[in-house]
Amino acid sequence: MTNIAEALKNVKAWALSRKLRVLLLLFVLVLAAPWPVSGQALSPCCVILAAGLSSIANSLQTIAHSLSAILGVDQDMLRFEQSVVWPASSITQAQGLVGIQQGIFSRIQALTHIPVNSATLPNAQQLEATLLSRSPDQIGQTSANYTTLYGPIPATTDASPQARDLMDMTDAAAQDAMKRAIEIDALSDLELQAASQINESIQSAAPGSAPIIEAQADAWLVRANAYTQAATADLMRLRAIDLANSSADIKMGATNTASLRQQLMNLLQHN
Amino acid sequence: MHYFSFALFTCVLGWLILTAKTRSRIVAVTVVGVLVSTLVIAPPPAEAQGGIVPAIQAVLKVLNTLILPVVKSINGTRSANNTFFQSTVWPVQSINQATTQVLQMMGQYNGPMARILGTSLRSATLPGPQATESLLRDHQVTNFSGLTQSYKTTYRTIPAPTDASQADRDMSDFDDALALDSFKTLKASDSATDLELQTADSIESAAGQAAAGSTPFLTATATASGIRSQALTQKMLAAELRQEAARIAHQNGLRKRGAMFTNQLRDALMNLSRHN
Repeated sequence: MTNIAEALKNVKAWALSRKLRVLLLLFVLVLAAPWPVSGQALSPCCVILAAGLSSIANSLQTIAHSLSAILGVDQDMLRFEQSVVWPASSITQAQGLVGIQQGIFSRIQALTHIPVNSATLPNAQQLEATLLSRSPDQIGQTSANYTTLYGPIPATTDASPQARDLMDMTDAAAQDAMKRAIEIDALSDLELQAASQINESIQSAAPGSAPIIEAQADAWLVRANAYTQAATADLMRLRAIDLANSSADIKMGATNTASLRQQLMNLLQHN
Repeated sequence: MHYFSFALFTCVLGWLILTAKTRSRIVAVTVVGVLVSTLVIAPPPAEAQGGIVPAIQAVLKVLNTLILPVVKSINGTRSANNTFFQSTVWPVQSINQATTQVLQMMGQYNGPMARILGTSLRSATLPGPQATESLLRDHQVTNFSGLTQSYKTTYRTIPAPTDASQADRDMSDFDDALALDSFKTLKASDSATDLELQTADSIESAAGQAAAGSTPFLTATATASGIRSQALTQKMLAAELRQEAARIAHQNGLRKRGAMFTNQLRDALMNLSRHN
């Protein structure tokens, strides 16, 4: 402790003996010492900076107002779409109706499958079973069953060529129509099945996907119309054949009458 | 780095001042020290911050000339879009008008049309035909056996084998069968028609309460019902085809038998003329 005091005393004495030098040294050191940089709050640069930031803030405020307006419009649109265009309750209600329709579909499908066969004799029963089979695979059996019931075309010795042609054409038209009836039954079964399938898919559709299903249903409707037209065409063919037969009967009647008159005249001449 | 320079400068300057021999040297060292400290050791003056102004101006320019107009434009577009949807595409007034029209038309047409369709068409006067007619028009599918029985009462049964040829009996049975098939199909079709009308009523009723966005469901199910309706029409056409085919087949059968009878008659006449 005494050593330290003695050393300090020596330093003091040394400094006092060189007072001028020490003072000058301190002066220079004070001058050269690094001082902390003072704040620039009051500098012109800061004023410019503050003005700039203020402008930016104003611009951002304007942008915020516009964004807020956009949000308002979006919210209004959302409210409108949810309450007027696509209200969830209406969508659920419509889907519920489709579900009810499915029940009616099933009932109609069941109605079309009620057996209607009525023939009592074996030949008639066989042809009827083929015609009501709804199976295109059985179309091949139609002609044989038909011939069994309505008989074959007479032999060349038993009928005139005109009569044979007429009978064959008529049989052909009748068989064609019967075969078409089997086809149409099978097609309509498939259409009912497709309609049911489409209706089922509507139940699980979204408002945005329902029009796609609707488009498919429209395509099926076009197809169904085409099948109806095919059936109507066959019906018209059948009626045309019927008309042609009536005409042919008159023509053949006239020919036969003329032939009979000729034969009677021949007979009278011989006698 | 700056503090290190300052410490080095302190040491050198202190040593020079303290070891200077003369006053003039002390002053000289001090002056040199001041100059060195001012020019070299003292911290460099802060650089002027003039670069921030253009930077702010650039930011402002971006905000005012690029972002703000775009945001305003988006706002304008969305507002126009909203107005367009609400006033042109889905105007509430038109939607309400459409639903009101649906309900009004339902009230106007459904009742009278149901009454027209429900008008009794029965015209038979005798008991047998009356019963058959009633069965034909009752829209029921559970009384087919009664229909068959009633049909036999009105149109009679197939002749006994002793009273008609087998060909005649077969044809007659098949004609009866197809007529009965058609009657049964028609009863099922009548029943299906009732269900279809029910479907149409419920779809129309739902359309009267629907929103613009829920109608695709209704149109889709209506189209599916249209397919079903076509299928049922086809079933009826198929029955009609069978029936018409059987009718001309029957006529043709008679024609064939006419040819056969003519031959038999010719043979008989020839035999007769030979015997005479």
